[in-house]
This record gives sequence, structure tokens and C-alpha cells, in this order.
Amino acid sequence: MNSNSTPSAAPPVARLIEAFSRLPGVGPKSAQRLTYFMIRMPREEAEALAEALISVKDRIVLCSKCLNITEDPVCAVCTNERRDRTRICVVEEPLDVLALERTRAYEGLYHVLHGSISPVNGIGAEQLKIRELLDRLRDETVTELILATNPNLEGEATSMYLQRLISPLGIKVTRLARGLSSGADLEYADEMTLANALEGRAEVAVDKETSTE
Amino acid sequence: MTSGRPNLFTTEAVVLRHSDLGEADRLLWLLTPQRGVIRATARGARKPGSKLGGHIDLLCYVKLSIREGRELHGISQADTIDAFRNVRTDLGRLSRGLNIGELAERVSVEDAPAPAVFRLLVNSLGWLATTQNADTLVRWFALRLMTITGFKPELGACVDCGNELEPDDHVFSAERGGLLCPSCRSQGSDALHPASLGTIKVLRHLARSDFPAVESLNIGAEERRQIERILRSHTNFVIGRGVLSSAFLDEVRDWPEVGPVPGGIRAD
Ligand SMILES: [Zn+2]
Ligand SMILES: [Zn+2]
Repeated sequence: MNSNSTPSAAPPVARLIEAFSRLPGVGPKSAQRLTYFMIRMPREEAEALAEALISVKDRIVLCSKCLNITEDPVCAVCTNERRDRTRICVVEEPLDVLALERTRAYEGLYHVLHGSISPVNGIGAEQLKIRELLDRLRDETVTELILATNPNLEGEATSMYLQRLISPLGIKVTRLARGLSSGADLEYADEMTLANALEGRAEVAVDKETSTE
Repeated sequence: MTSGRPNLFTTEAVVLRHSDLGEADRLLWLLTPQRGVIRATARGARKPGSKLGGHIDLLCYVKLSIREGRELHGISQADTIDAFRNVRTDLGRLSRGLNIGELAERVSVEDAPAPAVFRLLVNSLGWLATTQNADTLVRWFALRLMTITGFKPELGACVDCGNELEPDDHVFSAERGGLLCPSCRSQGSDALHPASLGTIKVLRHLARSDFPAVESLNIGAEERRQIERILRSHTNFVIGRGVLSSAFLDEVRDWPEVGPVPGGIRAD
């Protein structure tokens, strides 16, 4: 496929290189490196890896409620009695759930769209898990929907689209604050980020006792 | 346009398409004035705090420093000239912006200069940010784009026999590239689209005018429908397939204006 793949490699080797180069973020060079690493791998390790791959395919399903990936019909978040069932946070990908869970700052439920609206790639609302979200909003007692799509044009488009669909249902729609990322220099900030940060500015609370010094 | 260092050039560009690359990089399809469509990587652009990330979102008009590569170029610096904020914060404008961006990309070729297409796109995105007639803009854009790339539909005379058209209703054939007189319309088996006298007048006006001159043109509903069908069939025929972003445009076309969801808590 690619001019960099080894034309002289034995068929099984070429097949593995080809398989690796289909992975996201793996170019032909890395695919070759991974392949030759695996050729030197002990047989047990290779079998464990193959088995892990198969079991992911066999045992991982989408949670029937939030559509996150899970081993059970309903995932651990959705079955957890202590989660706040009045809030749903909408994200693009399962990895976004992991990122939000790591903060330990959110106790509500999730909904994974599995992508964002991308008109130039022909991806519209019907390819995302939006109908499933509407079903949940109808069947469950949700009072707030938190939009946590990516802060880029396609993520914004997805959020605006959902807001349009869901606001008329009388459910409060909110979104993650956008603005400067911690550790970034103001001078490098782009126009959109700065404008958003200005829009979302908050009053600085001055602590009287410490400011008298 | 090359700077002192070899292999480095600066260019203006509009970001038309992107895909994820590696752990945190992005691959961009850019429309540039001197090199047409180029592909370039933006390292680390998906990480928060990336100096590149915020500048190179879709439909951003940017100035770039680029390291020349054999297959892919690499972006070393990006500065926003205009992010067309009003376009990206409204679903209706955004769907039209993506549509004209996709059209511009489809008629452009890799590494072939396209200064007129580039200027047309930048100007049109600027107008799109403020106009109240975004649909007229999209139609005007399509017609102008076809004209400057050499695919102007024939609107004056019959495209087959060359005879002057009577001031009357006629039909349009994308396959033959223009309007047909009554005697030529029955020759051939191509799809014919009705073009009323009113539609033909509007099309001619759009084709010879700059956007500000047609912006407030009052176009009737039936004319709008006919013009939409004619221009779509024509552009689809020229670029060889449907325009992917049209489906989304059609879905949100008649939605009331939808702005961005405000940050923080919203009570209503
Ligand atoms: Zn779940
Ligand atoms: Zn004729």
C-alpha cells in the first residue's frame, strides 16, 4: 500500500505490517518497527496479546444506556446507585469519559455520541448516538444536560445542534467553560480562545484579610 | 514567498479539512493562493495549550510558516488573520461556510496556484459572517467559483445550437452545461431542470455581479428552488460527485438562528 512498506517481506510479515499501519497514529515506519518487535517476542506474550485482542472484540459491548464501552450490558457508571441521575454529560468518545472520571469532580451520568457532526466528511447527526440520547431524555428524569464536546468547529457544531434539539424539551442545557488552558501564554492564544475566555470571565473574589497587607 | 532559510515558506491559508494523526497531531488540508490545496501536519495541535491548535481549526483564515516536506509539509507557526467568529458560532452560517469551503477544495488541485479561488473563498467567508442572506451568498459563490475555474454555465444562448434564447421559460442541462432552447431540449436523454424566466434573470444577475450588489435581491420561493437545483446539478456534474456537506446544510437550512451554547449554567 505504502511505498515504505517492505516489498520483500515474507507474506505473514507483510500482513502484520499492513495490519499495524491501519491503526490510528501508526505510520509505515512504526508499523515495521512494531512488527519486527513482535517477531522477536516470546510465543506466550504473543498469544496473550492475541487473546487480549480477541476478548476485546468478543466481550466489549456498548452500554445500553450511555453507550460507553463496557463488559456488561449496563456499565459501572450507569449501575452505580450513588451517581446523580438528573445530570447527563454528553461526550464525543469513550476516552472523554475516562478523562472526566479522572477529575473525580463529576457525579452525574454520561452519554457517548461516538463522534461529532462533520459535514465535510459526510457525518451527520444520524451517524451519531443522538436518537439514543433523545430516548433517554424522554424516559429518564434528567434536568440538566452538560455538553462536553471538543472545543473545535465540529464539536461546537454538535453542541449547537444538540442545544437546538433539546432546549425545547425544557431541560437545562449547559456546556463546559472554554478559555485559556492552564500553563499557556496569553500572547500565544488564538482569537477564538481569547474571545471565549473573555466571555466566560468570572469576578475575582478578593479575600479582605489577606489583601490588606 | 520563501524566507531566508531554505525549505521554509510562509503562506496565507484557509483550513478546509482535517484528520487526527498520531497521538496529538493533526493533518490539515489547506487552500493557499500560490499552491492550491496542500496537506500539512500540525504537531501537538490536539493538546491543550498548543501554540498551533487554536489557530488551525476548520474555516480559519491564517498565516502559516511551513517547512517544506517531500510528501507532507509541517506547520511551524500559525497566526490567525480571521477566524470568522460569527460563522462558527451559528449553525446556519457554519453549515454554509463548510459547504463553500468544500466546493473550493473540490475544484482545486494539489500544488496548482489558485489565487482567484482563494480570494473568493476568503471574501465570501467574510460576507457570510455578516450577511442576512446566507443562501444567496452560497448560490452566488457557486456560480462565481464555476466561472473563475472555467465551468461557467451558459445562461445567455442555447448551449447546444447557440441560438439566442427567447425571453421565456427554458430548461437547464448540467450535462450539456447550460440552458437549452425549445428545439434542443428534446435531443438527448440528460436530466433537465426547469428554469423559469424569473430564474434565468436572477441567475444572470448573480453571474455578472459582485455579492454586495445581489445581497439584498428578493428571490421568490419557486425561483430559489429552481436555482438551487440548477446550481447543485451543475457543480455536482463539474466536480464529479455530490458535495458531502450539502446534506447537513439542507437539514439545518430552515432552522431559526442557533447561537453557541453559553458557557456556565444556563437557566432558561
Ligand atoms: Zn453506561
Ligand atoms: Zn438550441
